[in-house]
Amino acid sequence: MDEARGGGHRSGERRATVSRRTLLRTAGAAGAGAMLAGSLSGCASREASSGATRVTMWSWLTGMDRYVEAFNASQREVFVDLNVLAGGLSGGYAQQTNAIRAHNAPDIMHVEYQGLPQVLTTGGLREITEDTSDLAPEYSSAAWRSVRPDGRTWAVPFDVAPMVLYYRKDLFDAHGLAVPSDWEQFRTTAEEVRRIDPAARLTTFPLNDGSFFAGMAWQARDPWWQILGDSWKVDIGGAGTLRTARYWQELIDADLVRSDGIGTQDWIASMHEGRLWSLLGAAWSAGTLNKSIPRDSGRWAVTTLPTWDGVPSTGMQGGSAFAVSAESDVPEAALTFLRWLSTDPEVPGIAASFTTLLPAYVPNRAVARESYRSGYFLGEPIYDVLDEAVRRVSDWTWGPTALGLFSTLENRFSPVVTGGSTLVEAIERVQHDSVRSMRGSGLSVIEGGST
Amino acid sequence: MSRSTSGGARSGRRAVVLGRTPAGRMPRFGGAAVLLCAPFALLLLGTVLAPVAYALYLSLFTERLSGLGFSGPSRAFVALGNYADVVTDPDFLHGVGNVALYAVVQVPLMLGGALVVALLIDSAVARLKQVWLLAVFLPYAVPGVIAGLIWGYLYSPDIGPISAVAPIDPLGANGILPSVVNIATWQWMGYNMIIFYTALRTVPRELLEAARVDGAGPMRTALSVKLPSIRPTLFVGLVFTIIGALQLFTEPLVLQSFTGAVTSTWTPSLYVYDSAFVAGDYGRAAAASVLLGLVSAVLSAVVMRISARRSR
Repeated sequence: MDEARGGGHRSGERRATVSRRTLLRTAGAAGAGAMLAGSLSGCASREASSGATRVTMWSWLTGMDRYVEAFNASQREVFVDLNVLAGGLSGGYAQQTNAIRAHNAPDIMHVEYQGLPQVLTTGGLREITEDTSDLAPEYSSAAWRSVRPDGRTWAVPFDVAPMVLYYRKDLFDAHGLAVPSDWEQFRTTAEEVRRIDPAARLTTFPLNDGSFFAGMAWQARDPWWQILGDSWKVDIGGAGTLRTARYWQELIDADLVRSDGIGTQDWIASMHEGRLWSLLGAAWSAGTLNKSIPRDSGRWAVTTLPTWDGVPSTGMQGGSAFAVSAESDVPEAALTFLRWLSTDPEVPGIAASFTTLLPAYVPNRAVARESYRSGYFLGEPIYDVLDEAVRRVSDWTWGPTALGLFSTLENRFSPVVTGGSTLVEAIERVQHDSVRSMRGSGLSVIEGGST
Repeated sequence: MSRSTSGGARSGRRAVVLGRTPAGRMPRFGGAAVLLCAPFALLLLGTVLAPVAYALYLSLFTERLSGLGFSGPSRAFVALGNYADVVTDPDFLHGVGNVALYAVVQVPLMLGGALVVALLIDSAVARLKQVWLLAVFLPYAVPGVIAGLIWGYLYSPDIGPISAVAPIDPLGANGILPSVVNIATWQWMGYNMIIFYTALRTVPRELLEAARVDGAGPMRTALSVKLPSIRPTLFVGLVFTIIGALQLFTEPLVLQSFTGAVTSTWTPSLYVYDSAFVAGDYGRAAAASVLLGLVSAVLSAVVMRISARRSR
């Protein structure tokens, strides 16, 4: 349970294990999660040396306590006071939004790329375009674009989370299966897997995770939102997204893939016992595998996502950045820490002991690669694959209702499992509802009509 | 909400008593009365009345964005607009339907079960009464979240035993409602059983002896003597259970992680949670919770009125 809980704070890894998600979500609902987490963080040293500027920070990133501790020990000018929140949608965003409304937000807040535009609509973040302009060339463009939705910089990127394919190399090799390089081959592979072992499936398409489907649609190069002047273009039912939806609907209908969640106990058991031969995940999923099925060392390998028609493209699922509160009295000190967190080579070194960090700050990639203790994965070195995957991340803009949209998607996908709806119907309905609700809240919306 | 409504029913009676006294006794005990009531009054004001008033206020406003929304929201008065949005939202209505169906099944099942067990333990033939009491009551001691997790694992295919023997998938679209009913019944039956059992212990023993002398068997005694004697308690249990059903939240929230069949708006309480903390629409959330509170209050009042009429 403890271990599962810790995993929840990993950036983007919202739903890695069921026990953790359950605990966090529920604890967040009860308001207990934050208290518990707060009391835990209380263990970290809280005494600032005299004269240091105190910066308050809220985050749910796994290991943030260690980064903060290292930073506080490394200098005497700035002291960061960390408060650990329940992970993202399990309560973290709600707590931050409430604090912004109540005008008592901490100096630094946690914003995943997917949540940034929605947090921006609270008006609670400080524009940091000038302060960070010198860093621009060093960041992975996928991350840098994500913190600059409207051309102004609103947060300092921390990591990137391109999607990749993890697969059971031992089983693939034993049965002479080739690694699928495009989605048509993926379908054939799924048929093969079922033929070899009728109880096994190639993968699961988690109907209960909107951010997963978003990552898949991202790969299809059909952004759900775009900023056109002073308006949002909303196109959740675009051609690429619909193609993705149709493809997965066919696989689900043909019983070639499962459609239950990732990270549940059932999923862990299936992964370990060879009833699931692959995982469509993000960079941080390597940590999930390591944690969920530690004894599977030497069975799994990682490769880039299968492509559509050979076009190298990838989406992201998650990824974290950190923003400064609009009402912070100590923005300079806050930025001092954020620069350190994002760019100091000490950080990936610390991270290597508990995760596979893929820093958004490109010069730190080499440190992460060197610090990584290999052995779990077979085949191509994981950081080679991740580097290639980051290069393939295509253009995408998250909208101002993205977090709420994930939950709407999950609700609309829910009847798909019984045949009560299809992914395509669900997507079309979500597009319609989304445009309506964005207009209802006063936003300027252009409807994408290319369905 | 449950506390304030049940308190409301009682304070109605108290108000009548107080209404007679101010001219006579109040000045003498004024200081002490104020002092003694202050903690309660302050807590009531601070933790119940003020939040309810704030929710009412919030429910009349919405946050308007403009353009891209990055310049932040401005608050706009929409009168009953949020209420209109909520009652015409198919997701909300669907949640109301789920809860209604749940209540229709769970309330009689759980209260009936609790009553039967209480009568059995109270009957003369029962042995090891304390053991039975404890055994049935024990699930209530398990926190709701933990109970949800335990049942979630029991329902899970490949992990728990239930899906192998159940006629329908307990986490499927058709099985989820019975599954939630089962969790709530398991958890709350013991609690209500204790309340009913305690009431049964207060039935005068002479009355029961008289019934026996008149030739009533255990069945007849239970139905014709014991039940009417504890009717007020049964109604209290009914009110609490109905309110509890309306507020159904924890069990489905926990089961969300096990199955997609529980949507984020599966019950009105989940709808409120989703509106406020996922979608960030506080006005709509406030309107939905005010509606939920109103329905709870009205239903409680109706049940209490029926109860009062019956006892007369």
